This record gives sequence, structure tokens and C-alpha cells, in this order.
Amino acid sequence: MIGWWKTWKALEAKGIMGINRRNADYVLKYNKRSLYPIVDDKIITKERAIAAGIHVPELYGIISTEKEIDKLETIIGGRSDFVVKPAKGAGGDGILVIADRFEERFRTISGRIISHDEIEHQISSILTGLYSLGGHRDRALIEYRVTPDQIFKSISYEGVPDIRVIVLMGYPVMAMLRLPTRQSGGKANLHQGAIGVGVDLATGLTLRGTWLNNIISKHPDTTNAVDGVQLPNWDGFMKLAAECYELCGLGYIGVDMVLDQDRGPLILELNARPGLNIQIANDCGLTHRTVAVEKRLEELAAEGVQESPEERVKFAQGLFGHV
Amino acid sequence: MRSLTLHLKILIATLVTLGIAITAYQILVLGIPVTEDETDDLWNIDAKVEFVANPKDTVKVQMYVPPLSRDYISLNESFISNNYGVNVNRADGNRKVTWSARRANGNQTLYYRLVLTKRYSGEKAKIKGPIFRDSIVVEGPEKIAADALLAPIRQHSADVETFVSEAIKRVNNLSDDNVKLLLAGDTSVQNKARITETLLSIAHVPVEKAHTIRLVADQPQSPELWLRSFNGKEWLYFNPETGEAGLPQDRLLWWIGNDNLISVEGGKKATVSFSLNNSEMNAIRLAKLTDESTDADFLEYSLYSLPLQTQQTFMIMVMIPIGVLVILILRNLVGLQTLGTFTPVLIALAFRETQLGFGIVLFTIITALGLSLRSYLEHLKLQMLPRLSVVLTFVVVLIAAISLFSHKLGLERGLSVALFPMVILTMTIERLSITWEERGGGHAMKVAIGTLFAASLAHIIMSIPEFIYFVFTFPAILLILVGFMLAMGRYRGYRLTELVRFKAFLKEDAERENHK
Repeated sequence: MIGWWKTWKALEAKGIMGINRRNADYVLKYNKRSLYPIVDDKIITKERAIAAGIHVPELYGIISTEKEIDKLETIIGGRSDFVVKPAKGAGGDGILVIADRFEERFRTISGRIISHDEIEHQISSILTGLYSLGGHRDRALIEYRVTPDQIFKSISYEGVPDIRVIVLMGYPVMAMLRLPTRQSGGKANLHQGAIGVGVDLATGLTLRGTWLNNIISKHPDTTNAVDGVQLPNWDGFMKLAAECYELCGLGYIGVDMVLDQDRGPLILELNARPGLNIQIANDCGLTHRTVAVEKRLEELAAEGVQESPEERVKFAQGLFGHV
Repeated sequence: MRSLTLHLKILIATLVTLGIAITAYQILVLGIPVTEDETDDLWNIDAKVEFVANPKDTVKVQMYVPPLSRDYISLNESFISNNYGVNVNRADGNRKVTWSARRANGNQTLYYRLVLTKRYSGEKAKIKGPIFRDSIVVEGPEKIAADALLAPIRQHSADVETFVSEAIKRVNNLSDDNVKLLLAGDTSVQNKARITETLLSIAHVPVEKAHTIRLVADQPQSPELWLRSFNGKEWLYFNPETGEAGLPQDRLLWWIGNDNLISVEGGKKATVSFSLNNSEMNAIRLAKLTDESTDADFLEYSLYSLPLQTQQTFMIMVMIPIGVLVILILRNLVGLQTLGTFTPVLIALAFRETQLGFGIVLFTIITALGLSLRSYLEHLKLQMLPRLSVVLTFVVVLIAAISLFSHKLGLERGLSVALFPMVILTMTIERLSITWEERGGGHAMKVAIGTLFAASLAHIIMSIPEFIYFVFTFPAILLILVGFMLAMGRYRGYRLTELVRFKAFLKEDAERENHK
């Protein structure tokens, strides 16, 4: 009992945020329920992003009824690689990544050969809501397949590594690089076994990582060091993340971005309830940082000033960077 | 945000205060028993009247019965008599029953039976009594003796109470010559009481004779005489032999005045014998009975006024918030992972029918079989709704099979499985299999065990009989519960499991310190 109390106090002193605090003080306070559809539906997110001039993977087409599945051929056109996604999917479920054509069939990223019919069945499943939250009817989107930058080759296993940034009222608070592992099946989801690696907000240098709630410094599959890697175009990522506040209006979000080898930083999706493992990856609590941002917001409100995304990034990098 | 917090605090404080106040009112003012096991004494008093009727006369028997204006409440009163007409009337604070018959012959036996209890009397009516009376005229030597006795009594007393008490003591001092003269050799209690009354009347202090019955079981007894006097506020009772003031708690006032207990016209050798016995009765049942027999309708607006069948439903219903509270604590304070939010409560309700151990076994079997079916259906790539329908039907068939099987084997318990909520089971299977795919078998097992654990705990707490009684009788408790839930809504501390989850931080610290 006393041990637990000590742990409690120690965690509190480090500013580690628990689920209850995240929900009560941030998610419920800053995220208006009416804005959730913007982040829950990837199609709306994408449309908003395009309208705001924020980079996202190019949308090839949307299929929203069974009848429209026939259009698949025209949507794909001559392309040999693309991604089929449920608009309201969760946890990376129902995503089909086609890497290549193989004679009359397609080859997925993992090397499985599937027919045209199987893709259509997958889309039909998406439409019935098989992968959507709550089993509601859903739409399928077909979009550009991201090719991860070469920099990640040595520290990821299959799949696309992505960068998660927690953004509070437009201020990036903490960042993490998520690396798929063999265990996570190419998915960049931490609770499925992907690695989370902390990233210094100022420099884009990776820190040590977390894997299944433990702190690690090597990738379990490639055994390459995951720390000390310089992420290219880091300021671009930070600006992109900061702009997402204007994009969706939600005050506390997790922004998932990827680095495409041709198109640079792209927004993949937004999350209204970002997880807390990012703290382990950064070996740092969120609370101190969010409190600092809230204080800054109060000061600015008193002065009646609103900062631009660039200014916000600068503030965050100055305060939270160089750890 | 701050105003919201204040708002919330006020709301919580109001709800909790209201809950406590209502419950306290019910317990302290209305006197509703706190536990179901609380019992109250129930007195069964039989008065047996025997007499010999004159062959040719009409018979009229009059007997005093308790007026019941004090702290007792009669639950049942009956006059058992063959061929007699019964009539009860009130006069001068007394109640009198009149049995009458045109013709009766030989030995006659009449019964009067009273069932009463001490609790749940409503507010006491205002009492009135005389504080002055005219003197009983005494002449000659008696007058001189009386005056001689009164002089020291006056000296030794301060008020009505001490005056009466002192007078009784003097009258009982048999060595006193004045007393001897007044009693004239008759030292019975009745005579002493009469002399005391005479003495007091000279001093204009009114006294009445009060005849009481002692509430003691299985002891033959006859009415006991007490004297009482009104001091302007309340009646003071005195023992006519010792002058002690105060009527003991176990005395029941039967009648007041100088008359005999019974008077018989057209008969002779009338005797009355009392027999008492007491029994204990469940306090809340007693409360319900008194509610019916008196005006005290404090249970009128409680759940007890509902029809019995509905009451039973409500006994389950009022416990659901308790079950929900258990889940709330387990999830938000402990951090236990369960399937869905209220699924464990619903499973806990299902356990009511199946009993806990059997329920867990059934739940496990059905879920395990359902999961294997679900994983088989996964290969067929079915759409969601058809797939769910198949699983549901499978669950129904499974339940039917288990019922049939256990019936054949003679296990009646197996039949209770039919009440297991099938839709909940189906959804549990579906959710579990999704969790399994998304997060692996280990996690799915963890969640399933968490759900079962939460359901079992909720079931155990929801079926504590004392608890059910308490919540059902004092539903205002639920307000306090809501207050707690509201407070939980803004709880932002760690969950217990998070202490484990974030342990990596502290390990790191410890290591770093070791390196130094």
C-alpha cells in the first residue's frame, strides 16, 4: 500500500498523465463533441486538410455504396500501388495496401497475391461497417500509397513508420516516432507491438523508445539503434502538426504524420483521444508541458494576442526541446 | 472551468446532504429499522371472562379494555364470544366493551384478545387533566386525623409530585395512629388508595386510580393499581404502596377510575383472568402492519406501498446503480479492463438466476464455443449483420442444448441458463473476438477475465440481503451514490493499473541513480 502511494507520488512529481486526467482535463475540456466527426472520418479530415492547403496522401476516390464498387476500376486507373481504407476505421483495421500488380492480380505489401474480387469484397465489408467504430455503415477511400523515406529502412520492419505529435491548442507538446515490428504485423500501433520512439521537439533527433511498456534503445527485429536518428524536415512536421488545430478545431489531438520519400511530410489522420504511451517513449510526463502551454495561453489571452502556427512551434521548441 | 467545479461541488453537496437528510429522517424520526433482522416485541394479551349466567335473565357484561392512547398500538383486537352481541364505546378516557345476550345458561366464557406493539405510535395527542378538585367531605375524628396527617405532608413537599408521594408514604405508615384510624383496620391497597385520595382531595389535589397490566409473559396476574395525578403538563404515576413516582415501561394502562374491571348483569361469579405472551416480529413487517392499522402512513410514499410483485422487481432495480458503481470504481479507480461499460452489470444480473459458480461456468463455456464459431465464420468473410445473426442463433441453440442436457442429467440448475441474456452473450462474443484479433489472445483473455471478475463482484455486492433491504427501504441512498459518481466524473488521479503501467519511469530513475 505504501509502495503504491510512493509510486503514485513519484509519477505525479514527474508529471505523468493518467487516463483520468487526460479525459477530464484535456479531452473533455478542449475537444468539442460536435467536432469529432472531423477526426473520426478520414474523408472529412482529408477534405478539410486539402482545403487548408495541408499536405495529405492524394485521394484517388471514395466508394460509399455497393453500386459504386463498380467504379473501382476507373478509380485505380493504371496505378499499380494504392491503399484501400475504411473512413471510420480504428486501430489500422481493414486497411488494404496494394504494392504492385501481378499479371491480372494484385500483390499486397506483405506479398500476398489477391484478385480483383477480393478487393471488392474487402470494400463491401468496409461499407457494411465491419471495421468502423460501433459497426455503423462506412465509406471506403482509395488513396496514394505512402513510401516511407529511406531513413527508416534500418529501424523498421515492413509497414510505414509514422510520427505522432500531441498538439494542445495548436502547440506541439510531445512527439514520437512509431516503428512497426514483426510482432505488430507492419502496423504502427503501440498496443499491437509497434515501437514508440521519443523525438526531441527542437531538433528532430530520436530518443530512446518504448516497446510493450518497457524502455528500449534497439529495434527488436533489425537490432539497429533507434536513438540518435535525425528525422529529416523536422520543422515541416512541427508546422504541419501545429496547423492541425486550425484544421479541426479540437484542442487536444494526436496528429499522425508520415514522411513520404517523394512528397515529404503528410498528415495521415488525427486522433481525439491520443494514447499515453508517448510519455514512456519520451521518458517524460505530459502534464508539466501541457500546464506550461495552458499558462502561455492564459498570458496570450490576457494580452489579446493569437499566435500563428510558426510562433507556436517556436514556443514549443524553445520550451520543450533539447532534452 | 472554475465555476463549473464550484457548480459541481454545490451539486454534489446538495445531493449528498439531501440523501443523508432523507435517510436520517427515515431512521431517526420515522423509526424505520435499519436492518431487516431488527425485531420488535409483539404482545398477545388474552382476557378470559368467566361467569355463571342466571337462567332467565338477559345477560349484559361490561368490561374495560385498554384505551390505547399512550405508546401502544393495537394491531389486532378481537372479542370472541358465542351468541353475544359486542359493542365498544369510549367514555372519560376509558374504553368499555359490552357483551349482551338475551338468553344464556350456565357457565359462560368470553374472550378478549389484543395484539399490540410499542413502536410506531404517531405523535402524542395533547393531554389534559384536572388540576383542582373539591374536597371529599370528612367529619368528626376522621377530619381531625386527616388534618393532622396533612400538616407535615404540606411541610415536606414542594410541588404536586412530592406532595402526592409524601401523602402515599404517610398513608402507608401503619404505625401512625391517624392512619390507623382512617384505614379502620382495612389495609388493602384499594383502601389505602381511597384514603390517599380523600387526603389529597382535602388539599384540592386531584388523583385518579389507574389500573394497569404488566407486560410479562406467562405469569398469571390481575390488574395492578396505580394512582395518577396531573401536574398541568403530564400525568404523574404513583405506586399507592410506596409512593414511588413513575410508571415502569412495561405497564399497560387498562382503565381509570373507581369502577371494577367487570360488571355483570344477569350473572354471577364473574372472574377475569389475564394471560400474556410475547413474540418477536420482523420490524419492517410490523411497521407495514401498523401502517395498515393506524394513521401513521410513513410507508405510504416508500417503495413498500407498491404491489408485492412490483416490489420484487424494484428490489433488483435499485441495486443496479450499486452494480454500476462497482464497475465505475473498478474501471476508473482500479483500471480494470472490461468488455463494454455496462456489460458486466448485465452479466451480474444474469448470475442472479444461475448462481455465481454455475453462471461463470456457463458463461465461459458459451463464450468459448461462440468464439470458436466466430473464428470459423471469420474465414467465410461474412458481413457483420449476418455474422452476428449466426452467432446469436448459435448461442440460442447452445443454451437450448445445455438446458436439455442438464435436464436429462437431472441438473435443474441448467434450466436457469435460459434466462442468460442471449444478446449480451452474442455481443460479448463479438467484441471479444474483435479484441482478440486486434490485440491478441492474451489481451482478450485479460479483458474476458476482467469482465467476469467485475460481473462476479457486482453480483456479490448486489445480492447482499442487508444491502438490498437498506437501499430498498432508504432509496435516498441513491442520491449519495449519484454524488459520488459525479465526483468520480472529475477524478483525475491515476488508476491503480497505471501505477504498474508507468513503472518503467521509476525503474529508469532507480537505474540512473545506481550508475551514479
